[in-house]
Amino acid sequence: MDSFRVLVVDDEQDFLETLVNRLNKRDMDAIGVLSGERALEEVKKKLFDAIILDIKMPGGMDGIEALREIKRIQPLAEVILLTGHASVETSIEGMKLGAFDYLLKPVKLEDLMMKLAEAFEKKDSHEQKIRKARIKDLMRFPGRVFDQEKEDKK
Amino acid sequence: MEEMRIMLVDDEERFLSTTKKLLSKKGIDLLTALSGGEALEMLNSHSIHVVILDVKMPGMDGMATLREIKRQHPLTEVIMLTGHATVESAVEGLKSGATDYLMKPADIDELLEKAEEAFERRKRLEEKIRVAQTRLSMKTPREILRETE
Amino acid sequence: MKQDRYATMKNTILACMILVPVIPFILVLGVGYYYFTASLESSTISSMRRIIEDHRQMIDSFLRERKADLEFILNSYSYDTLADPGRLPDILTQLQKKSSAFVDLGLFNEEGIHVNYSGPYHLAGMDYGQEAWFNQVIKEGYYISDIFMGFRKIPHFIIAVKREDAEGKRVLRATIDTHTFSDLVKKVRIGKTGEGYILNAEGMFQTERRSGGNLMDKDPDNLRHTSDEPITKTFSQKDLRGEDCFFATTWIQEKKWLLVVRQEKGDVFRDLRSASYLIVLIAVIGGGAIIGIALYLTDRIVRRMEEMDSEKDRLGEQLIRASRLAELGEMAAGFAHEINNPLQIMKSEQTLIQTILSDLKDNGQIEESEDLSELEDSVRQIAIQTDRCAGITRSILRFSRHGESRAQDVSLQTLIPEVVAMIEKKAGVHGIRIEQKIDQDAPSVYMDSAQLQQVLLNLFNNAIDAIIDKHGVEGGEIIVDAVRSDDANMKITVQDNGCGINPSYLDKIFTPFFTTKPVGKGTGLGLSICYGIIGNMGGAMEVNSEQGIGTIVTIRLPASG
Repeated sequence: MDSFRVLVVDDEQDFLETLVNRLNKRDMDAIGVLSGERALEEVKKKLFDAIILDIKMPGGMDGIEALREIKRIQPLAEVILLTGHASVETSIEGMKLGAFDYLLKPVKLEDLMMKLAEAFEKKDSHEQKIRKARIKDLMRFPGRVFDQEKEDKK
Repeated sequence: MEEMRIMLVDDEERFLSTTKKLLSKKGIDLLTALSGGEALEMLNSHSIHVVILDVKMPGMDGMATLREIKRQHPLTEVIMLTGHATVESAVEGLKSGATDYLMKPADIDELLEKAEEAFERRKRLEEKIRVAQTRLSMKTPREILRETE
Repeated sequence: MKQDRYATMKNTILACMILVPVIPFILVLGVGYYYFTASLESSTISSMRRIIEDHRQMIDSFLRERKADLEFILNSYSYDTLADPGRLPDILTQLQKKSSAFVDLGLFNEEGIHVNYSGPYHLAGMDYGQEAWFNQVIKEGYYISDIFMGFRKIPHFIIAVKREDAEGKRVLRATIDTHTFSDLVKKVRIGKTGEGYILNAEGMFQTERRSGGNLMDKDPDNLRHTSDEPITKTFSQKDLRGEDCFFATTWIQEKKWLLVVRQEKGDVFRDLRSASYLIVLIAVIGGGAIIGIALYLTDRIVRRMEEMDSEKDRLGEQLIRASRLAELGEMAAGFAHEINNPLQIMKSEQTLIQTILSDLKDNGQIEESEDLSELEDSVRQIAIQTDRCAGITRSILRFSRHGESRAQDVSLQTLIPEVVAMIEKKAGVHGIRIEQKIDQDAPSVYMDSAQLQQVLLNLFNNAIDAIIDKHGVEGGEIIVDAVRSDDANMKITVQDNGCGINPSYLDKIFTPFFTTKPVGKGTGLGLSICYGIIGNMGGAMEVNSEQGIGTIVTIRLPASG
């Protein structure tokens, strides 16, 4: 089975390296990047199961903006928000944008792993639902591909 | 076009009545409930699109009510409203399926705006479901063939 | 009360610090002085004893030899030969060759008639038959006289010996110049006053005494050394002038002369005395130093203790204050939450009033009037004030949102520039220069980074406000620096050149809801929350300000690791 693909976005180099190392040790395919811009590049290149995203990053794109873009490019990737500075406003905004969860730094590694597991589970069931719906659709209307497109255009 | 029906759930009687009056001036019929239990009953007996739900209520609290509403009426949009805003309750509420999370004191126009957003969302969702259902009810050529046989 | 305690403690410490070194110091000096004196005394006495015994032996042997010389002559020559005036000078010459002390020589017959004489005088033919010395010679066989001044005014004495045989009794007498041994005795010189002299049995000087005492005078010291005592005796006694002296006396065997050596004690101990001046000087200086150092150290110790005590008190107060602030924060948060509900109702009611009013106006049910516009204004005011309340509750909640803080290692080298970056724009707009002096080697601090960020932001915002107050849009400056203040702490200071704080406000600035900003501009919570945050993290915060010059806020935080 393929290992889970995880992207970690954080401007703190030490934290990033430690986390990516730990994730790789747990048989995940983890990549770390230091900024929102770099994260978007990665997201455009490759599909991820989960993305751990630090909201507060000085300079450049902020976490919420990055989240919005990530969700646009890969709606199925589950995003866990991390922040050192909890605020009700950003938590609401982030969750409304479709983040999977919102965690406060410093976060315990076990907690983060649990959240990742939950995220993978959610993504899996989500994908299965979609896949099943597609299979059902295919079985019922084997020749309806073009119709679908037409309908979408309407 | 279907008219939006909103229910406000709060343990403050006066807030309910004043808001009801205000919205009726805008031509909106507001349903109210003083507790989570009452809200669920109302949902069973009325068709309601958007619920504005206070987080902190005696008895069944807002979070529990939210989960119950989402379980029984998954299509109902719920907006949380609280004087007791915390990151934890905001995240929990949104994860449990709330559409939005507002802080008291909220402007009535803001409330209405959020409710309308939610209603739009619900309409879009209903539309999608309707489309999917029509698709399902539409007979495939094979079914037609089978029927004619 | 407390001051008394410090005074008592100070006296105790001082007494200990002075007595503990001073007592052994004095004992050492005393014991040293005693033993040194004793040993000096015994060595002086033993050297006096040695000198006096040497001299006694010398004098004894001198007398013995001279006596033996005479006996030899008397026994070697017949009476006739000795009575021959032609021979006697030769014999004298012969004697003088042996000892230059011999001055003359004379022969006496049994009756004491001076039969023959050789020497500088003309004494032949005189009758000495009744003289005491002659009778003694006849009786004892020999005689040694005391020293006397002869005709020549030279001190001398006589020795006479008797021979008795078939030819009858005869006596040979010689006059002896005393210089040979009196010089010897006079030459005795110990230290400055040490001297030697001889007394006869009656205590008359037989030699001159350097410190006064002519030949044949009575010795004024009146020494007691009886013949039944040991030959040599040492003692100390006061002399005529009242000086304490060491004496060594010994009886010469051949003649009842007392050889005396004496030295003034003052002289003996002169070196010791000059040494003791030095010792006293050292003792005084040393003692002074001990007392001085004791005073200084005691003062320092007590002051340090006072400082520590007041530090402790201050920390205690801070702790109480911090916990009070924390409670207050919780209370404020609870209060804010509770107030939000009524605020919501007020807001709705206000909206309703406004809506109804405008409806009535639109319907023409009420007419435009001054009262109406005042009413509308009043209703608008309610809205504004409700919003203001909402703003306050929100800011209270923002500050006291997370009751529990999550401490971690926070690098100031990273955090401070981040915070500065956040406010740089705002500062720039008002022409404020921000200078960062962050020690790049300084350790991290252990605390909640978001809270620290919040604290710094608050301080910067206050600084900016103060600067705008004073300078407008030019010449403002904020200096933030972070250094290790000691082993365990980091010190962060935020300094501005703004308007400063009125001295009468300084002790209130940490009090919640205290603000000098215009109504509606500040909640008065910022600094008190900062204070609470820093206090909770085991740090301390203090504000120094001079009105019109600027303000320095100092934060001390425990360094991590």
